[in-house]
Amino acid sequence: MTSLLASETAAVSFPVLTAMVLTPFLGALLLLVLPNNRPEYFKQVAFLVSALTAAMTAWVMVEFDKAHAATFQFVDQYEWIETLGISWALGLDGISLWLVVLTGALFPIVILAIDAEHSPKPYYAWILVLEAGCMGVFLALDLFAFFVFFEIVLVPMYFLIGQWGHGERAYAATKFFIYTMMGSALMLVGIISTAVITANTTGNDLTFGLIELAESQALGQTAARWIFLSFALAFAVKVPIFPLHTWLPDAHTNAPTAGSVILAGVMLKLGTYGFLRFGIYLFPEAAVYFAPFLVALGTIGILYGAIAATMQRDLKRLVAYSSVAHLGFIVIGTFALNTEGIEGGLLQMVNHGVSTGALFLLVGMIYERRHTREISKLGGLQKPAPMLAGVFMVVMLSSIGLPGLNGFVGEFLTLIGAFAAHRWWAVVAASGVIIAALYLLWAYQRVFHGPAEGDNATMPDLTVREGLTMVPFLVAIVFMGVYPKPVLERMEPAVDALVAHVETHVEDFDEPVADIAHHVELEDLADLGTDTHGEEDGEHG
Amino acid sequence: MLAQLDATPVETPEIVWAGLLPLLILSAGALLLVMLRSVVKRLPADVEPHLITAIGPITVLGMWFAAGLAGTDVPLAGLRDDMGEPAFYIGLALVMVLAGTLVRTMEIGLDAAITVGLGLSAFAATWGIWDDRWQVTGPFNAIGDQFAVDGFALLFAGVLAASVVLVALLLDGYLRRESLDGPEMYVLMLLSAAGGIVMTGANDLIVIFLGIETLSIAVYVMAAMHNRRTESQEAGLKYFVLGAFASAFLLYGIAFTYGATGSTNLVDIQIFLSSGQLVDNGLLMAAFGLLLVGFGFKIAAAPFHAWTPDVYQGAPTPVVAFMASAVKAAGFAALLRVFMLGFFSHVDDWRPAIGALAVLTLIVGSVMAIVQSDVKRMLAYSSISHAGFILVGVHAASLAGINSVAFYAVAYTFLVIGSFGVLTVVSGVGDRATSLDDLNGMAKRRPVLAFMFTVFLLAQAGVPLTAGFVAKFEVINAAVDSEFYWLAIVAMLTAVVSAFLYLRIVLSMYLGTADGDAADLGDPIPKAAGLAIGIAFAVTVGFGILPGPLSDLASDALPALIGAG
Amino acid sequence: MLGQYLPLLALLLLAAAFAAGSFIASGLLAPRNPSLAKRAAYECGIVPSRETPERFPVRFFLVAMIFIVFDIEIIFFYPYAVAFGGLGVFGLVLIMVFTFAVFESFVYLIGNGALEWGPLKQVARPSGAVSPDRTVETTIRRVGLEDRGIPADDGQAA
Repeated sequence: MTSLLASETAAVSFPVLTAMVLTPFLGALLLLVLPNNRPEYFKQVAFLVSALTAAMTAWVMVEFDKAHAATFQFVDQYEWIETLGISWALGLDGISLWLVVLTGALFPIVILAIDAEHSPKPYYAWILVLEAGCMGVFLALDLFAFFVFFEIVLVPMYFLIGQWGHGERAYAATKFFIYTMMGSALMLVGIISTAVITANTTGNDLTFGLIELAESQALGQTAARWIFLSFALAFAVKVPIFPLHTWLPDAHTNAPTAGSVILAGVMLKLGTYGFLRFGIYLFPEAAVYFAPFLVALGTIGILYGAIAATMQRDLKRLVAYSSVAHLGFIVIGTFALNTEGIEGGLLQMVNHGVSTGALFLLVGMIYERRHTREISKLGGLQKPAPMLAGVFMVVMLSSIGLPGLNGFVGEFLTLIGAFAAHRWWAVVAASGVIIAALYLLWAYQRVFHGPAEGDNATMPDLTVREGLTMVPFLVAIVFMGVYPKPVLERMEPAVDALVAHVETHVEDFDEPVADIAHHVELEDLADLGTDTHGEEDGEHG
Repeated sequence: MLAQLDATPVETPEIVWAGLLPLLILSAGALLLVMLRSVVKRLPADVEPHLITAIGPITVLGMWFAAGLAGTDVPLAGLRDDMGEPAFYIGLALVMVLAGTLVRTMEIGLDAAITVGLGLSAFAATWGIWDDRWQVTGPFNAIGDQFAVDGFALLFAGVLAASVVLVALLLDGYLRRESLDGPEMYVLMLLSAAGGIVMTGANDLIVIFLGIETLSIAVYVMAAMHNRRTESQEAGLKYFVLGAFASAFLLYGIAFTYGATGSTNLVDIQIFLSSGQLVDNGLLMAAFGLLLVGFGFKIAAAPFHAWTPDVYQGAPTPVVAFMASAVKAAGFAALLRVFMLGFFSHVDDWRPAIGALAVLTLIVGSVMAIVQSDVKRMLAYSSISHAGFILVGVHAASLAGINSVAFYAVAYTFLVIGSFGVLTVVSGVGDRATSLDDLNGMAKRRPVLAFMFTVFLLAQAGVPLTAGFVAKFEVINAAVDSEFYWLAIVAMLTAVVSAFLYLRIVLSMYLGTADGDAADLGDPIPKAAGLAIGIAFAVTVGFGILPGPLSDLASDALPALIGAG
Repeated sequence: MLGQYLPLLALLLLAAAFAAGSFIASGLLAPRNPSLAKRAAYECGIVPSRETPERFPVRFFLVAMIFIVFDIEIIFFYPYAVAFGGLGVFGLVLIMVFTFAVFESFVYLIGNGALEWGPLKQVARPSGAVSPDRTVETTIRRVGLEDRGIPADDGQAA
């Protein structure tokens, strides 16, 4: 059970994971060679490519063997750079499954929902490259491959913000790139150190394979801690964790809508996923050692993000700061280092992808209609656009964590986990939930309620296409809120295995468990959310 | 007294001609080219195009002969093996026709065509030695114990030959645009590359010095070749004066080495030093210092970098491409040879100095680049910071370190030729449009070129899926392997700082709006230059995605010292 | 070990002493009756208001440099001549290569007109603006000669 080795993987003849990474990439190349005279084809081709990828993700989700969710499945492994022991190794387990599904689902929606403002060819090409990179990060089982994907996503996002963004886009794009690169620069040293020290200690050949490195645990305590820090810095910037978050509001505010949705929906998860897959798995002792520190930062992030969001005048910036707060929850859940916390964190990653992604889409729609995101210039939108308001309300409530919607399950599990591990931090963090309700509802009130004046009064409602693109989000929000079991039961074995891995390799570390956690079964969680479902408009009526 | 001299025959060194083939092709080719063009100044207009077309097939034959001659001990044995089969002749004929067509469609001039042919033949000869001879017999000496042919020297010889080919392609259009045509530039470049090859294989400090001087003097002239631009004159003069100064340091260092060890031959030096007979340590330390100053100048390491921005800015852009690729590669090859082979037993003495140079070079290169506003100057500083990166590999003083230097040199050669190639094309008549503002809106005017330039720049920044990333990866790997974590960290942090610089260029290409002057830079790209940039792009991306072959090659490329046998 | 350099040092000192002695002696012994006319550059004509600039054809420099190149050649030939017997065929080949390289540069110089002494010859390679294609025939438009089979303006004159 402790072994996460992919020994029992069913031999898949078709390298589906490799295909999932390469399809968008080849799609991007295909776009580049398409002739320029039929611009309408670009979007269709991009959508088809991402839909093909999504279909493969769906197939993987269906075929995923939940009995062996702790082992890596569908593993593809090929030699890449033999002299350095680097291989192209991709695999999927319960931890990465849902993030892969989220990635696969979000990109087609984004491509369909938003038209390029100009130069569609490079726009869609970059989005597809971005998809390939994100897929690669979630699937990589080789540290080199992981780093390649982790870095490569910067380039398309840089161009998306820089070329199709608004306002201070050049500044935002550069800041985003430099910040993230600064973080990962040291991680590269960390990655190489891990591989080299392991090879020197064990006497084996140099390898960058994740499983080999994690299972050998050959690093000394000090080395492991330093290297963990180098990884943590990279991930903390990407997440972003509190003092390193300043690139995020700028990037979000100035990015085009598609960029924001992908950034919030997928890219921020690269960091939190990295913590789970690489930080904790490779360096369990260091993770335990630094956990209180990271939990503290996560909690500060929750409060800081929430307070900062409250004070924003720009709707998009507000959502961006709410992301900082939400990711704080994911961090404290992850570093509770118990099953509930990590599961909650994982679930919250998916939830945040869905709900914040949807929020950014909606904000984008408002901006498209009103050409402003200033909250003070909006108002009373509920009257001219009731559909938009309704959808916004559901998504916002999910983001707040209203029971019955998906956000609640994740936050609840996270807080249970954190409560068991770091009681007082959890208490403080819980107050973040309340502030979240405050700033989101207040924002809703200012934007949608009140009298509609001027342009606000004539704002068109959702078109059919926009409405349809929101459907998958709403379905996911409600489904995961009411019945999270299918999601959780596929994560759980993998999370258990990870916690067990930490317990095995760290002396005097036992999984922190709170008494209540044992009594809360998954089915109970599902019940918790049924009573308020469907009464979105109740609060302010 | 004269009678005495007559009586004793002087011992002459044993020469393996095949091992010298790349060197001979380049230098003899240069001499013949200048001879030809001095005697026949102007070809009849109806002959010239046909002659140029003919150079394509001739080059193919030349490559075939060169590879065959270089291959095994018996001249032409390599040819004999293949000659039996008719399929071989059909294939050869086909390739020759293709080559002729390619040359014709490239609309290339006679001198450039000949230079490309010579470069390719030298490359083929290197390949032949590598494949058929060196891998069979191992490293060997080509001239007595003065000049070694080993994997390391061969790899760098290949790099030099490749850069000759690419830069010749760039030069063709450039010289025509600037009305500077003539064989001189090509001849000098061929001679310079020949000097570089001497440096890469030299087993004797004096031979290294000969190589460096041959290489440098040609490049001094090349830098000043644009005789209607005062900046070019200035660049040539500055480079010459400072270069001569550095050569003096190098020579002084060689003298000190001789004083300390009693020999200038790296084999003897190594034997002497590792036997622990050294009496005067101070003399050796002084020699290290002086040699480092000399080499540091050639590779543009801080604090001996001051010439770089001015010279890079002033010199003709294709020449800068040559300086940044070939001259730097040859400099590193010689540096590595001397210190890793000759002085390896005293690694603890010279390593801190290299470390200090590396840190200083990295910081100066990346930080100073930020405040520049001229793209050529920016790239000059970036080339300084790349030198710092390569020095980190040298500093590792291990096999991994040598491999990483070899890999980096290959990758950087193509990167930098690509970057300066793009600049050559866009800088307009007189090489003037090289400021950051001149690139504004380039993505709209020339999307493909802008995209390639972006890739070159991102590769220099070390973004994955480019050869630049793998090169940095290998260097960091070498540093970590030798447990110099701090140096690895410094290197990576400065890489981020210089990323800012590359982003600035990318930003102005994609976001800047062209105004007035910059807008009308839409002259057609010379086809040959386009080919060169395309090759550089293909190599950069190709080895970025699949670095395996180059990595294998680099790990085979080890220098070797062979005593006189 | 350094003792063998002693004669050299002595010679150096002697030479310096002799030179210095000559100067001192002439300074002390020479009769001196300066006057304004004696110190002028020319004893008659207009008194120059400033130093006349020296006009000096750059060609002289060229010739001087070419001379140095070929002069230095001798430095290699001389020792070769001394060791000729011992070096055998190897030496012969090498010196042939060397000679060829030097000869080569000579050909280049001749080819580029470095030794031509006419007043109007173009030393630099003709290029776009200045080329043999541009002659009086092509650059001067002869009015009224059109349609008479005489080459008129071919466009370059514009």
